[in-house]
Amino acid sequence: MKIYTRRRDTPLRAVDGISFEVPQGTIFGLLGPNGAGKSTTIKVLTTLLPPTSGQVSVLGHDVVADPLAVRRQICVVLQENAIELFLSVQDNFRTFARFHGVTGAAADKAMERVLDLFRLREARKETGIDLSGGMKRRVQVAKMFMVDKPVVFLDEATTGMDTINKRATIEAVREEASRGRTIVLTTHMLEEAEELCSSVVIINHGRIIAQGTIDDVKDLGLRLFNITLTFSADPSRFIERLRRYKPQRLDVSGSTVHITVQEERAMYAILEMAQKSKNIRSFEVTNASLEDVFVELVDKKETAA
Amino acid sequence: MNAVVAVMVREYLIRRTSLMWFFMDLAVPLLYLLMFGVGFDRAIGGGMMMGGESIRYNEFFTASVLVMACFGSAINQSYGFFVDRDNGIFYEFLTYPMTRAQFMFGKILFGCVMSLAQLLLTLIAAVAVLGVRIHYPLLPFVAVGMMMGTAAWFFFMAIFAFLIRRNDTFNTVLNVFYFVLMFLSSLFYPLEGTPDWLRMLSFCNPVTWQADVMRWFLLGLGDPGTVLIEALLFAVFLGASFVVAVKALERAVE
Repeated sequence: MKIYTRRRDTPLRAVDGISFEVPQGTIFGLLGPNGAGKSTTIKVLTTLLPPTSGQVSVLGHDVVADPLAVRRQICVVLQENAIELFLSVQDNFRTFARFHGVTGAAADKAMERVLDLFRLREARKETGIDLSGGMKRRVQVAKMFMVDKPVVFLDEATTGMDTINKRATIEAVREEASRGRTIVLTTHMLEEAEELCSSVVIINHGRIIAQGTIDDVKDLGLRLFNITLTFSADPSRFIERLRRYKPQRLDVSGSTVHITVQEERAMYAILEMAQKSKNIRSFEVTNASLEDVFVELVDKKETAA
Repeated sequence: MNAVVAVMVREYLIRRTSLMWFFMDLAVPLLYLLMFGVGFDRAIGGGMMMGGESIRYNEFFTASVLVMACFGSAINQSYGFFVDRDNGIFYEFLTYPMTRAQFMFGKILFGCVMSLAQLLLTLIAAVAVLGVRIHYPLLPFVAVGMMMGTAAWFFFMAIFAFLIRRNDTFNTVLNVFYFVLMFLSSLFYPLEGTPDWLRMLSFCNPVTWQADVMRWFLLGLGDPGTVLIEALLFAVFLGASFVVAVKALERAVE
């Protein structure tokens, strides 16, 4: 549990009764809406903040009793953009490596790999202050790959990156996990979490609302069906009929209709309707995405509250 | 020890990016001595009385320049803290494999190296250019005073760097401290002839305590009893600043 106490304010229970384990060598997602308590959880796990109560350990080292032992096992990308503004990109890398005990030829070798991996070779002599926001973030994330710590924390690591760099980061993260490193990440991009993570915890208002493997979470009794219908003619008449099934989501984009329904009966009825229609060119049914489940879970809890 | 060295190398690399840093760290107090000190020395001509002894203003002011060096180094270091916190890397530092004490120690040690470099430059200028007579046997204590002063002012300024979130507010606080603490002290003039209210307030100022102690070690000027009390008070100031700075650091992370 983590309670923030500020003078003149009521204490804020940022994290309350959270409990989870992350298996070594896996990619673990900590998900939740803004202000859910994800960053506070990361701060506690990375020894930035002590928990108000409870026990937290990383690779068997207690974050309160032995924070230095924890720090020796981890590297962290925090939500804040954090690079050395007055140093060049290569000095950023070397400085980070030096703090983690990697110097000289070993640091230079790691730097060469990272410069290529994150396509930063041309920017190696540029000063931090001159980089764009996305480039700063790239340098910040790339630093993590300079050292070989068993646990990596990434707090919204791909925020602000363009698609290509986001893809490079995702690939790098996946590769590091395959080499046995444990990755704990928070992200707003649920597609990213679904693609990367083997297990997730969803938190809201500081409490866990779902946890397990991606499939476990998607199977939380929330039977959602995503149906995509592509019409060969204007689908407006059809849309009116679709509304009868009280869809959770109904998006129209040109001649394509995306619809999400909760009941299996509704799904079959729509497919039957599509089968009878002469205007349907294709249809596709998929299960709920992690994003659908996430929205459903968070909304349900908000409504209950 | 590696972590402390890493902090110091990082400080050096940052300073290497701009000669302005080195100018602020090394040259400013020296220029005070060579410009303000020399000018004032000539202006008051026949010297001044302190503790019944006649001394030249240059002699009086040399110890003050050393205090200003400690103070200036602390301001630069704390400003660095503020910038680091503002751009977020400060929080990342706290997740590196080092204790917070090692982080602070590395910062202070770098500040001390800069202060000792200033001590050397100031003494060369004072002795070789201005002919100041220095009490050489106590010179090691001057060096210790420089290091304690650098640490104390660093901790003191760090409190504000940790607690203040706005750049303009932080700059204002630094300027106010610079002005009030410098002029309400025995830095620029002996307090003996000053009005009672000014003398009373100045004796409550840690700048006065450090300046008087440094002057005694450097020139043998001042009352040993008073200097001893001031040395103790300054040690308490250092300890208290350290404790409050640690609390402020914890608060800053939240």
